[in-house]
Amino acid sequence: MDLTPLAAGLAIGLGAIGPGIGLGIGVSKAMEAIGRNPESYTTLFVPFVLGIALTEAVAIYALVVALILIFVK
Amino acid sequence: MVHVSLKAEPLFSIGPWTVTNSMIGAWIASLILLAAAVYVSRRARIVPNRTQSLVELPFEFIFGVVRDQGGRAWRQILPLIATIFMFILVANWMGILPGVGTIGYYATENGEKVLVPYVRAAAADLNFTLALAIVAFATFVGFGIRMQGLGGYLKEVLLPEPKLLAPLMGPIELISNLSRLISLSMRLFGNVFAGEVLVLVLLAIGPVFVFVVFGLELLFGIVQALVFALLAMTYVVLATIEHHAEGTSGAEGDHGSPNQSNHPAGASASGG
Repeated sequence: MDLTPLAAGLAIGLGAIGPGIGLGIGVSKAMEAIGRNPESYTTLFVPFVLGIALTEAVAIYALVVALILIFVK
Repeated sequence: MVHVSLKAEPLFSIGPWTVTNSMIGAWIASLILLAAAVYVSRRARIVPNRTQSLVELPFEFIFGVVRDQGGRAWRQILPLIATIFMFILVANWMGILPGVGTIGYYATENGEKVLVPYVRAAAADLNFTLALAIVAFATFVGFGIRMQGLGGYLKEVLLPEPKLLAPLMGPIELISNLSRLISLSMRLFGNVFAGEVLVLVLLAIGPVFVFVVFGLELLFGIVQALVFALLAMTYVVLATIEHHAEGTSGAEGDHGSPNQSNHPAGASASGG
């Protein structure tokens, strides 16, 4: 029995849990900051995007592992 | 059954060089940018017309970001960062155009008839993103060496600031520097390639729903271009950051935080 699809599914599924939680925390804090001080939007923008990108990178690693499992034989 | 190829398919070869369909995509993207630049700069006006505004809009956006956040070398890195941003933006959005990834010829692969497209979204090929990441890597290492000298930069990477922790922090700093190469290229590739696969899979399930993903793809295209450019810029800023003598200002790099966290603790202890 070929378990490769299951492994790929598990890789991305489990790998998305952490970044999902992290993104939720990051975005909620950014929204909070903008809500308290709307002028901070311009200063927040770049650090916010960078933080989101770095958090999301972890999910992308899992995605790449899953893709390699599926497509590289 | 949906057929997806992880690597770009070779189309033809000129001598020893093989031309793949993602190279065609990258060439078309650069041609679009070149044509737009030449066309607009020939007839540039103080009050721009519509075409000029369209070309100036992304440049003005990235210009503002680099000027405000680009550190002390922002003038030198602006051309590179703006080029990376606009190149990735055009290359990403090209992948949504009809014909890209859908017009091609049929080839037989392992006895199956598969479609080999003539043009493939450039960033859906790891070679393209890795090349961009290598350029960004060479840029921030080069700026670090130019601004702090070879010895100064090596010292910062291998022997970071808290001297007691240097044997521990040095390898971590080195690995985190090297992993930027992988994370930069993999992030862009993963996002764009996953987008392509998503569209293909939805196309197989129900073509009616594809327009939803197109909106998403437009958003991801600009976000990933922005993220790549911002990260390349931030790495240069981190490499060229000015190190004052101890305790002159709070504007240190990321390894300055352990020292700073001592201050509030000490203050609250003496206050209480």
